[in-house]
Amino acid sequence: MQGNDHSVVRAVLAGDKEAYGTLVRAHSAAVFRVAFRITGNEADAEEIVQETFLRAYQRLEKFELRSAFGTWVYRIAVNCALSRMGRPEIEAEYRHGEESDAEAKTVQVATRDADPERVLLGREASAAQEMAMQRLTATEKCAFVLRHLEERSMGEIAEALGVAPNAAKQAVFRAVQKLRRELAPLRGNA
Amino acid sequence: MKHLSEEEQMEMYYDEGSEAVKAHLKSCRECAVEYAKFKRSLDSIKTEDVPQRGPDYGDFVWQALRPQLIPYEKKTVGWRGWSWWKTATAAAACLALMTAAFIGGRYWEHRNAGPNDMAGTTSPGNTPPQQRVVLVVLTDHLDRTERLLVQLNHADLHDRAESAQLQTEARELLASNRLYRVSANREGDPALAGALDQLERVLAEIANDPHLTAADLDRVRKDMNTSGILFEVRVLLTRKPNEESGPKSAKGVSI
Repeated sequence: MQGNDHSVVRAVLAGDKEAYGTLVRAHSAAVFRVAFRITGNEADAEEIVQETFLRAYQRLEKFELRSAFGTWVYRIAVNCALSRMGRPEIEAEYRHGEESDAEAKTVQVATRDADPERVLLGREASAAQEMAMQRLTATEKCAFVLRHLEERSMGEIAEALGVAPNAAKQAVFRAVQKLRRELAPLRGNA
Repeated sequence: MKHLSEEEQMEMYYDEGSEAVKAHLKSCRECAVEYAKFKRSLDSIKTEDVPQRGPDYGDFVWQALRPQLIPYEKKTVGWRGWSWWKTATAAAACLALMTAAFIGGRYWEHRNAGPNDMAGTTSPGNTPPQQRVVLVVLTDHLDRTERLLVQLNHADLHDRAESAQLQTEARELLASNRLYRVSANREGDPALAGALDQLERVLAEIANDPHLTAADLDRVRKDMNTSGILFEVRVLLTRKPNEESGPKSAKGVSI
């Protein structure tokens, strides 16, 4: 796969624009997944996917063939997501969107479980979790998502965020502390 | 060991804990209870579902992206496309070739310039400057020798003053003649070396006799005429000036 990706990159750099479609088709789903997990918003994630592959195409000459294209484009996606979250207007839009998203998720949970009490608890837990995630800084949230949901190593997280491994670990730890503190009342209720 | 910190619990949760922490967790009931709570709290966060994308999602992204992309230009492989090290290598190769040609030319020239050049076997245009100086000096020596021999041939043998003058001149010529003979031998010119050898014997007889008499001079004169020394000197003299195209060619000496 990696060898194929590298030969496709060479073809693109040689002027074959259409070959880039192969890379986009192969890695779009993974990029969307991480973008959604970081932003928590489907529309934002879609835009990040577009932005990621556009940036990757523009920087393709800087891509070193020693690394995998998937890892490289993943790092670009994380950066795109981080920069999007760092902007205040996006942040406001994001929070606004979250309310409706949380609602949608609750409905999704409700379809799986018919018990009204569990539906209510699920909705409450989901909303609290979303709120707790919103209170994290962009770096903390990104580091936590990459470690906790994407199951990336501390080294990979550090590389994606452009920080030292220890700084990446501290970002994850701060996120864990904050989330546990925020969600403690919910656990007590449960 | 003290109880586990929250950071150590996190390391355990993400499977990054040290062996000491793992061992403590097994032996400490209090830490095991705390870690169980920690684990439950983080496990509960793993419920977020990512909206599924269909199999055509990649194609959809590509179709949206495609119009925005400008194709990369093909890499040129012409002269302007050469990297700096390729240019440097080509320049170094050219320089090495020119140096080799220069050194080879010098070597070829030196090799073809044989030792006989000193005796005048090369054409005038090809004679090196240093060799040209040697030829002029030798011509001068032969000229003086010819004058001495002519003087001896016509001298009044009973005139002691004239005999003394001949002896002085012969002594001066003897030393330089020896040097030229040795040089001619070394350069491999047997004709010149032979003539200078005969000349040296005549000069030595005149120069080294402390009581030079008329009878001695007469004997030398006869030997000289017999051996044809004077003729040989004249041949050498006419040969050199002709080759050098110098002023000597116009000079005539009569006996």
